[in-house]
Amino acid sequence: MNAASGENLQHRYHDWQLLARILEFIKPYRAWVALSIGLLFAVSLLNLAGPYLTKVAIDDHIKVRHMEGLDRIAALYLAVLVLAFVFQFAQTYLMQYIGQRVMFDMRTRVFAHLHKMSFRFFDRNPIGRMVTRVVNDVEVLNEMLTSGLMLIFNDLFTLVGIFCVMLYLDARLTLVICLVFPLLYFATQAYRARARDALRKNRAHQAGLNTFLEENLSGMATVQLFRREAAHARKFERINGDKLREDLRSLHYNALYLPSIDLFSALGIGLLIWYGGGRFVQDEVELGVLVAFLQYLQKFFDPIRDLAEKFNIIQTALASSERVFELLDTPEDVAETRPRDPGLRVQGSVEFKDVSFAYNEAEPVLKHVSFKLEAGESLAVVGATGSGKSTLVHLLGRFYEAGSGEILIDGAPVSQMNRYDVRRQMAMVQQDVFLFSGNVLENIRLGNPVLGPEEVVAVARTARSHPFIQRLPFKYEQEIKEKGSLFSMGERQLISFARALAADPPILVLDEATASVDTETEHEIQQALRELIRGRTSIVIAHRLSTLKHVDKVLVLKNGEVAEFGTRVELLAQKGIFHQLVRLQSKSGPADGKGSA
Amino acid sequence: MLIGIVALLLTDVAGLVIPWLLKDIIDLLPGRPASATLLLYAGLLFAAALVQAMARYGWRKYLFGPSRKVEFDLLNRLFSHLLTQDALYFQDRKTGDLMSRATNDLRAVRDFVGLGFLVCIDSTVVILCSVGLMLFIHPVLTLWVLVPLPFLSLLFFGFIREIGKRHEAVQAHLAKITARVQENLAGIRVLHAFVQEDNEQRRFDDLSREYIEKNLRVTRMFGVFTPSLVFTIGVAGLISLWLGSRAVIADEMTLGSFVAFNGYLMMLSWPMMGVGYVINLSQKGLVALGRIEEILAAKGRVADPAGAAGPRELGGAIEMRGVSFTYPGSGQPSLEAIDLSVEPGQTLAVVGRIGSGKSTLVRLLVRLFDAGRGDVLLDGIPIREIPLSVVRDQVVLVDQAPFLFSMPLRDNVALGRPEASREDIEHAVRAAGLEPDLARFPDGLDTVVGERGVSLSGGQKQRIALARALLRKPRILVLDDAFSSLDAATEETVRENLRRFAGGTTRVIVAHRLSAVEGADRIVVLEHGRIVEAGTHGELVRRGGAYKRMVESQALAREWEITLL
Repeated sequence: MNAASGENLQHRYHDWQLLARILEFIKPYRAWVALSIGLLFAVSLLNLAGPYLTKVAIDDHIKVRHMEGLDRIAALYLAVLVLAFVFQFAQTYLMQYIGQRVMFDMRTRVFAHLHKMSFRFFDRNPIGRMVTRVVNDVEVLNEMLTSGLMLIFNDLFTLVGIFCVMLYLDARLTLVICLVFPLLYFATQAYRARARDALRKNRAHQAGLNTFLEENLSGMATVQLFRREAAHARKFERINGDKLREDLRSLHYNALYLPSIDLFSALGIGLLIWYGGGRFVQDEVELGVLVAFLQYLQKFFDPIRDLAEKFNIIQTALASSERVFELLDTPEDVAETRPRDPGLRVQGSVEFKDVSFAYNEAEPVLKHVSFKLEAGESLAVVGATGSGKSTLVHLLGRFYEAGSGEILIDGAPVSQMNRYDVRRQMAMVQQDVFLFSGNVLENIRLGNPVLGPEEVVAVARTARSHPFIQRLPFKYEQEIKEKGSLFSMGERQLISFARALAADPPILVLDEATASVDTETEHEIQQALRELIRGRTSIVIAHRLSTLKHVDKVLVLKNGEVAEFGTRVELLAQKGIFHQLVRLQSKSGPADGKGSA
Repeated sequence: MLIGIVALLLTDVAGLVIPWLLKDIIDLLPGRPASATLLLYAGLLFAAALVQAMARYGWRKYLFGPSRKVEFDLLNRLFSHLLTQDALYFQDRKTGDLMSRATNDLRAVRDFVGLGFLVCIDSTVVILCSVGLMLFIHPVLTLWVLVPLPFLSLLFFGFIREIGKRHEAVQAHLAKITARVQENLAGIRVLHAFVQEDNEQRRFDDLSREYIEKNLRVTRMFGVFTPSLVFTIGVAGLISLWLGSRAVIADEMTLGSFVAFNGYLMMLSWPMMGVGYVINLSQKGLVALGRIEEILAAKGRVADPAGAAGPRELGGAIEMRGVSFTYPGSGQPSLEAIDLSVEPGQTLAVVGRIGSGKSTLVRLLVRLFDAGRGDVLLDGIPIREIPLSVVRDQVVLVDQAPFLFSMPLRDNVALGRPEASREDIEHAVRAAGLEPDLARFPDGLDTVVGERGVSLSGGQKQRIALARALLRKPRILVLDDAFSSLDAATEETVRENLRRFAGGTTRVIVAHRLSAVEGADRIVVLEHGRIVEAGTHGELVRRGGAYKRMVESQALAREWEITLL
């Protein structure tokens, strides 16, 4: 399964670049961030006050057996605690708030960006992978912001703070302890490189797993009918196993690195006792200082340990952010620069001038297609499967950008129009009818949400979908379950007809829409179609001649080229492909649905 | 796991030894010890730390490791379980929601199992030992110091339930977001065609904004919780400083003991915070586990017969006796009192209007779900008593909107028989009329199909589905409007090939075009889930009922066509 392993394992961005871009997202909240950091700073300071007060108590009171003033120290301690409590709550809340806002911004931005992508992008990118981007990757980033990035400041403050206090208390002792640092540095470097690799791979496998899962959930019936359960379960287990392996690998590095910090911490304390104890014996250091040093040193390694724990979160988040930014950096295939013109309503003349198009360069789908349709005229496009019919109408709606040539609406090139304006001029009934969650009513007025219920009913009547909707238990309020699987294909098609009608566009595009409607319903649809295309420029792709009955012109596509174009009578007189097709379909027998209608 | 627990205990013990050593050193210092003694203590300290480090490696590896394996197993089980659910199950559920459970919820469970378990043990041990040692150093002071702690338990029980509820709301909302994104992407072509980008973005903004609020509701609870724990420990520390210093001055304990006492007290702060952490994790984890178990608890409705003594080979006879079926949540039955029978090798055609129950009827033959009432029999044996594998191997359904997997065409065709030879595959491809199209694909049979076959036309998808059905050499072939997207010439070729390729196969055909069903041995006409007519084409036309009317409407349309020419 290519999509599963297609996850990009290389890194395109540098870590610092990624961090910088994440900071971009935080920028709008910089005032809040500053406040939050200020609070953090305060909390760190307050946390440092504890050991210091203890030292004062020992040196100034306990050792000299001096009781007065102890109460004041205790009161000070209490005040410190209360302040720490208040600040910490405020800080936690603020941090969550910022994190949530940033996540909101990022998620809605990714979502909006996805909606800017063209069909070409969606042809290539599996849904599962994109869902992972919008939901999971952004969620991970939030985790980093709330529990990672901000707390790093906390840890750094504490680290620097302790170091300063220690220097102030006794510089020589501090320098001796610094001997541990090179060790710490090397261990950290070794850990970083390896953990990073394992975490990235882990994320890639996770996305692969999601893709596989999504595909299988969607195609469950096929999996079961072809008895692929065991095989797919095995495959799933394999991908899952790959992920587990990387999981365990990063766990291993982590398990190795963190205890090593403990060891360095102990080494530091050992040095302190040996060297500091020696100096105490020589009366160079006070006992209180030594005790305070011991306490500070223990606290000193906490932030380092903490940073290592967070390294996981940060790396995971960086990997996630890389994928999110990769998506955000995917340029719009159909670049949109022109402003929208909400009032635009075209007459509807359509012209293709020497249009060529290829999905991949080796095989052109459309070659030098030219034809012209006056406003209000209707056109039927016929041709073998794969001859480029669907592509033709997709180009008209700028779902793909034509490779060469020009497409004109009302004489103006569509490439010069805002693509949303172009699309608002047309309604498309596509091959696969997609029904959204929500009820029938909402699905019908998808393209025109302001339509009232009565108007929707009227539209549904014209599209001949009213009768079966009336038979539903909740009629127009019937909820659509998972993609409308309760409806038969024919019923879904009828709903999509109503949907197109509700949008009431100057240009109508029907893509193989009548393929699965039964004969009687088709008869009704023919009536509706006559209504529908009247006064509208219409392009109908059909495999049955029945649909052609009402159209003005016919275009025969063969291997992406226009083989024949003209009115029906003209084409029949040519005795070409169109003529053969008609003969073939009428030959199939007197009761043939295709040659009929 | 046991190794992990032992290692964890060892870590804690070593951790407790260290303050004790420090206490001894401090008490020793005023006596001006020799440098060698100091070195000895430093060495002892380092040794204790070494043990601690090694033990810590041990528990990290052996406590977190299993939690990953639990996640691995649970996910595998979840997937296998989903594979046993019938079509009705998936009809009721959003793919995005199921995905969210398998990813987000599972992660919460993993964290709970790994960290939660660890912190639980760790906290208990540290609390017990620290308090024990503190008692040993100075019992009265210990009791005073522990006074603030009961407030913590009060805090817990007030908060736990509320935090849990709020977490549940967050998880459920995340699933909602997942489902929305999933649906948006699956239906993106329609949304773009109808220029709904802005509307969808607005709707998504609203949904995401709600998510912020739900998360902050958790924070408001939790934000009080953790600082309270720190505060409580701090108060304990204060008491220790205040009373403890008096105790030292009163010579009730040495300075070293005082420092050690404070050391142990500070050790308590981690498990106290740990308790809060565990509560958070366990709330999240239990909610998530509940959501996962909901999936695992759903029984597969379509199951293999007990005893599994059914036939291995099917002859191809089909019978239905009084079969009725109603979709869950639907007010009207989709099928009612269906009786029919087909001899091996015969062709049955099912016609009728949209929504008359045709597709539901043929789905019962492959047990995508089971009939509500009545019996479906193959070779005279109730279908529920035939092993599922036999039914699915020998009764093959070709759907109107087939699902293709994002893998090479060849693998899609060989889906039901991965071991099929190259010749067999090519034969099936030819029979399905796919050969001319193949030439246009960049890598022929090795071309990878885009997700759900988006890069293919409807007609190509239908023919691939036919090829993969034919490759299985079924005894019963069910075609559910399977050629609806084919153009006339291709359909003619495919039908001709089918007659040659699958001559002896029992065929059930659902079709809208009556030309496709004319030659059938038996035609049934469905209306609102009931059989209103049955017979051969000739009989039905003579009878002059619904079928005749359908034929006439098609013929009439054809005459119009001729006059239009």
